[in-house]
Amino acid sequence: MNPLRSLSVAATILLGLAGSSPRSCAQQQASSSDTAPPVTGIKTSTSGKPVSVSAETKSPSVAPSPAIADDRAMRIEGEKRFSTNCGRCHMAPHKFSPRIMATAVRHMRVRAMITDEDMRLILRYLTQ
Amino acid sequence: MFVSNTLGTAALRRAAWCATSRRPEATWLCCLANFRNPLMQRRLQLYDSIGLRAKALRAGLVITLGLLPCLLPRAAQGQSATRESSYPPIEAATDVQPVPLLSGSAGFITNFDAGEPHLAPIVSPVVLVPIRQRWLVESRGTFETDMVQQPGNSAFHGVVEKALDYAQLDFIANPHLTITVGRFLTPFGIYNERLYPVWIRNLQADPLILPIGIGPSDASNGAMLRGGFRASSQWNFNYTAYYSALTTASPVTSARLVGGRAGIFIPKARLEVGGSFQHLLQNERSNSFGFHAVWQPRSLPLDIRAETVRARRGSGYWIEPAYRLSQFPFWRNQMRRTQIVARMQQFFAGPLSVDELPDVDTRQFELGVNYYFLDGLKATSNYGRRFSGEGNKNVWTIGLTYRFIVPLGREGVE
Repeated sequence: MNPLRSLSVAATILLGLAGSSPRSCAQQQASSSDTAPPVTGIKTSTSGKPVSVSAETKSPSVAPSPAIADDRAMRIEGEKRFSTNCGRCHMAPHKFSPRIMATAVRHMRVRAMITDEDMRLILRYLTQ
Repeated sequence: MFVSNTLGTAALRRAAWCATSRRPEATWLCCLANFRNPLMQRRLQLYDSIGLRAKALRAGLVITLGLLPCLLPRAAQGQSATRESSYPPIEAATDVQPVPLLSGSAGFITNFDAGEPHLAPIVSPVVLVPIRQRWLVESRGTFETDMVQQPGNSAFHGVVEKALDYAQLDFIANPHLTITVGRFLTPFGIYNERLYPVWIRNLQADPLILPIGIGPSDASNGAMLRGGFRASSQWNFNYTAYYSALTTASPVTSARLVGGRAGIFIPKARLEVGGSFQHLLQNERSNSFGFHAVWQPRSLPLDIRAETVRARRGSGYWIEPAYRLSQFPFWRNQMRRTQIVARMQQFFAGPLSVDELPDVDTRQFELGVNYYFLDGLKATSNYGRRFSGEGNKNVWTIGLTYRFIVPLGREGVE
């Protein structure tokens, strides 16, 4: 089969699948409710051929997976605990390597009597 | 009888559950359950006959007291314990092994005390050696000098004073208890333990009341229990209890004393308050009391720290607000690095005189400006005016402080 033809068939199938998925329908409804027209972007593949990209794959409003959301929540919580606990005595240090921070946080856990939960969240925030 | 049987059955069930889930209170609960068990009762009668009941009870008491620190916080925590367990363990969260560190601070401070210049360079290296997951060896030394001009000589001369501030072994027994042995900073108030390093303190001069309650050479030789834990969803509780033995060998001198400190921290209000107690077990055998508070209002870049002390050697207080100029609408980069500090303090001489304390009632006011080039590099300057029966005087201070961290091992993730 002609490579160009096979590529166009594959692109058509992909576009059709993308348009019929319930998630993209919901997102289209959401975007239409915001009165923003759906935009289709064009990006260039490594082979130099233009490939259509649907709007929802580029939209920043895509809901993150639960793992990413948990990670983000823990990082935010860690930053909050850091400023609340460590900021009582000194300003925030710039970030060191994870192994250095692990020692420093253990030291400060003993010195400043930080709770175990606070220590874990602060260490996670400082090392990621 | 019904109550005791019910308690015994409940304890047996609880012990079985704890044993299957490998919880640490299993041993204690097994002991409790066994005392209600008919088989254990017969054993106790046998012990009675051979005079061993007292020993058995003593052993149970020792086990109970040993596990008390594990049990009390869990009971006090209630729901928070289950909430804490929702976070992954530290190893899973970071997946890194700590590396030994050489940390510490250095500073070059210049004072003009009643017009007389003093040059005071200081270096305080800190060595931290973590061992496995629960141990930490930490030590800090201080090398400092106070150089002054000799009469008829323009050069500055001084003697380097060496001190071992602390050299301690910490064992993190559980999330609520850390056991420390060795030489440690006496935990009376907050200044000596938390605010003393030159890169942390906002004003370079020590508070007038600092020598009260921290013993000779600011440290104690002995053992200490300490910890902090979430007591409820609104506040954290922290505590220390320590015993120090008399040591006369310089430079690791210490007094024979016992004491403790307890405090609560309210994260929502960013407020910490606490109190300290100490009983001297030598000389005049006096008591010392202290109270401290730290508050950082959420709406302002302001820190307010305060301490008060009451003892036979003297009493007094200090209060120190520090304000960052980060809210100023111009020169934002420079303003957010600039801090204005003030400290008001007062000392009332006690019936017992001590070398480190003023002999007469003293008041002192200080106003300073700090500029943070980096988080660990700070320029500091301040002016102070001291009012006392021995005469009033001005104290000017300028200096530069630096905090360093050097890994003593491979820095990469293992």
